[in-house]
Amino acid sequence: MSRLASQAYLRTRLAIMSGNLHGRRRLAELAELPFDELAAKTGFDITEGSRQSSRLAIYERSLMQTWLDELSALLRPLEGPARRLLTQWASRYELLNIKVLVRGKIGQLPNEEIEHSLFKLPGFLSLNHNELLNTDTVPELLRKLQKTRYQGLATQALRRYEERPDPFLLDATLDQQFYSDLTHRAQMLGGDDRSETVNLIGRIVDRHNLIWGLRYRFNYGLQPSEVLYLAIDGGRVLDRARLQAILQADTLAEAIRSVPAHLLNHETVPEEITEIEIAMRNDLFDYARRAMRRSPSAVTSALAYLVLRHGEITALYAIVHARANGLSDELLHDALDIFKGEAA
Amino acid sequence: MIRAGYDMRHITLSLMREDLPSAGLVLAELESFAPDERLVLESELPEIPGSNFRLRMRRAWGHYDRLVALLGEPRSAPGDSPVMVLRREQLIEIDQWLADAWRQCAPCEEKLHEIEDRTRELNELERSLADFADLDVDLGQLRGEHQHVDMRFGSIPAGNIERLRDVLALSHHLILDISGDEETRRVLVAGRHEDAPVLDSVLHAAAFQLLNIPESFDDNPDALRVDMQTRREQLGKEDAELRGQLDNWRDTNHRQLLHAKQMLEAAEPYVNLRGAARTRGPLAALQGWVPAKRLGELETKLRGELRLPFVLESRPPRNDERHLVPVPARNRGLLRPFSILVQQYGVPRFGEFDPTVLFAVTFVSMFGMMFGDVGHGAVIVLLGIALRKKLGAFTRLFALAGTSSIVFGFLYGSVFGVEHWIDPLWIAPMSDPIYMLTVALVWGVAFLTLGSIIAIYNRLLSGDQTAALFGPGGLVSLVLYLALLGGLVSLAQGRDFPLVATILVLLTLTVLIVAQWRSTAGPIGERIFTTVIETFEIVNNYLASSLSFLRVAAFSLNHVALSLAVFTLADGMGFVGHWITLILGNVFIIVLEGVIVTIQTLRLEYYEGFSRYFYGDGTPFRPLRVGRSTTR
Repeated sequence: MSRLASQAYLRTRLAIMSGNLHGRRRLAELAELPFDELAAKTGFDITEGSRQSSRLAIYERSLMQTWLDELSALLRPLEGPARRLLTQWASRYELLNIKVLVRGKIGQLPNEEIEHSLFKLPGFLSLNHNELLNTDTVPELLRKLQKTRYQGLATQALRRYEERPDPFLLDATLDQQFYSDLTHRAQMLGGDDRSETVNLIGRIVDRHNLIWGLRYRFNYGLQPSEVLYLAIDGGRVLDRARLQAILQADTLAEAIRSVPAHLLNHETVPEEITEIEIAMRNDLFDYARRAMRRSPSAVTSALAYLVLRHGEITALYAIVHARANGLSDELLHDALDIFKGEAA
Repeated sequence: MIRAGYDMRHITLSLMREDLPSAGLVLAELESFAPDERLVLESELPEIPGSNFRLRMRRAWGHYDRLVALLGEPRSAPGDSPVMVLRREQLIEIDQWLADAWRQCAPCEEKLHEIEDRTRELNELERSLADFADLDVDLGQLRGEHQHVDMRFGSIPAGNIERLRDVLALSHHLILDISGDEETRRVLVAGRHEDAPVLDSVLHAAAFQLLNIPESFDDNPDALRVDMQTRREQLGKEDAELRGQLDNWRDTNHRQLLHAKQMLEAAEPYVNLRGAARTRGPLAALQGWVPAKRLGELETKLRGELRLPFVLESRPPRNDERHLVPVPARNRGLLRPFSILVQQYGVPRFGEFDPTVLFAVTFVSMFGMMFGDVGHGAVIVLLGIALRKKLGAFTRLFALAGTSSIVFGFLYGSVFGVEHWIDPLWIAPMSDPIYMLTVALVWGVAFLTLGSIIAIYNRLLSGDQTAALFGPGGLVSLVLYLALLGGLVSLAQGRDFPLVATILVLLTLTVLIVAQWRSTAGPIGERIFTTVIETFEIVNNYLASSLSFLRVAAFSLNHVALSLAVFTLADGMGFVGHWITLILGNVFIIVLEGVIVTIQTLRLEYYEGFSRYFYGDGTPFRPLRVGRSTTR
């Protein structure tokens, strides 16, 4: 398909697909509904299966499948770097599964329990979860991971784990690799596509670096240099020097004060990391919505749509799990507050 | 029959729970039963049997896989694969044996990894010392404690060096990249003593590995070399000892390991029934899909193997089940290679037109039309026969394509490109190229019309009336295409564009535009844009596709032209050169034209045929089989 035709196709597709986004108010309304009604309102008739857990699993799989179907539809006219960029975005589910596996092995959870938390992935994401699940220890898991495309990462993680077992180090390295690959693929695009996607990814990276940087520094007590080492390259506002200035603060309050004001875009200065997370998510999703509608680059619009849709799916997961675990309405609303951005 | 999966039947087997594993095995041996995991029997039979059995099987396979990764697959003698029902007690026994076996072997595996790590460290140290031997550096200065400076020498993954350099620069540390390769770099890091905790944490995050430089390196390098050699030999010895122990263990336990594998494989069908089998107390039922022609055989086998009474019921698929019915591939006889090529594109939906036969006939015909030559066709047939072991099912494709070339060779009067050895039964392509192009165009129109009719049929069958009427390749666009074509033919013959054709064109075009407009969402500008583009695309697609079939004639002409070129070259040479050129030229024609014509034919089939009428998103028939499933 020519570039003009693929742009027209993507725009048309996105115009139709944007109707699938629920928006913040509707998501809040959905949170009030019982599970079956919520599933029906979001387009799924989960009538099969009497047990709550199996219906929940079917619903999650359906949501995931919808996201992947939409991704496939958006991939159709794309080729080369643009296609690779969107495919990379899908591999975040693979990463989430690796994190679940590592945490499960550290916590010595039964395989069935770990498996229950894994996403069922499509064929083009090639990680063999069964093989990774079939291990007794983290080093054994990492050695199996060395035989996959995560070889380099697993080798480093194994070295570090043998020296000092820190699960968050692996998490951070996985995120680092994921976003580095994403930025690298964005850099391969040309013209508007490159500048627009790099801008969008830069905002995601800023949010990630700030939230996780503060958590590592003030919740886990890591040294500023170590946190800085674990940060991801490619932020839009927060380069290494700015991040260093924030991380070298002695207290969280002091660190928050040194965050550039326009990054938080908040009426009052937040006091907690979760508040910063909400503010930055709101900001990111506002930007993604604008990019989806108005970006001169159709690839960026498609990526922005996938970001928004992923956020809403995460929020829906949170709602149905909260309902399944019998969380009170109050707690559910508190939990939903975290997803304000995704819901918006 | 050309309807995909037309003879599939839904079966429900009601039996006693005790007989369920045996029934699973009978169904697996039949290799014609695809389980149906829908919850239709849930109200009467609420339990899914064997969940504990499944978990234990999985654990047992897990231990087995790890043992095999360490020891290698146990070899079985011919005929040494008993198929039997695995009882729960036997499974527990096998699982425990495998778990014990893994407990015995796991320490050896762990030690082998340790040896591997120590060998790598030794290699790293050797390389580092070789680097230092070339440098004028006092290593004594790098070792031990210093009053103010904290110096460390070690290796890090090459990909981390830039990031580490940047981060260390911010905390006023120095890093010197000394040597290494694309994967690992050896570096010297220096900073202030009081910053040691900072350095520790960053180096840990960067997967830095400290290398200790032995003191003897300064004053007695030969002794160090001997020492390292001794350490290497020691590691080699330990490795050999461990592998010897594992070999002994394998030899002693080979039979049990093989037995465990065979028993687990025999239990796989029962496990793979999953939700297709349901129970309540002693009663059980299982459901799935079986081709009608295998039902008799199934009933006979069940009567022979099940000890307790059972009832086997079968019925044709209901309308609301159409999307669930698995469709077996046409894998038999001459159609096999074509079935494989169809499956490359997709699986037909149940009840829709199965394109395998049409694909086979049109593929073979078009190949012959494009590459009609008695001699070259015969070579293709012989080549297929000679390479039959490598080609497998595709031998038949070679044979059929070659035979088609021979038939068209007689029709064109061409043998190895020579056009005067035999008289053409129909026409020599070069004698009337316009006629050949016209024939190709007519063939294309017929192909596209047939494709559209099949598309309409398939869409109606799927309940998609809108697409059948107004979609690309639907009834309205087909009428538009034929009316437009009729009018153009009339114009080409020097007459007017007929009134009927004009009315039909205008009418169908209007209907298409309205349909496109109604099916498009979005702002008004976008709807206008999409409607215009989509309608233009439908008309343009038909015309472009029709012209696309001109290649069928073009390649038949191309064949003659290539042959002429070879003969012209050969005629300009001496006796030996003449024959060498003729032979090499014919080889060139067979290979080059053979490949190009195959690709072009496939292109016409996939793009002008399948994309028009074939959904390709049906459910493949995956029967239960004996042995380990690959999609657990």
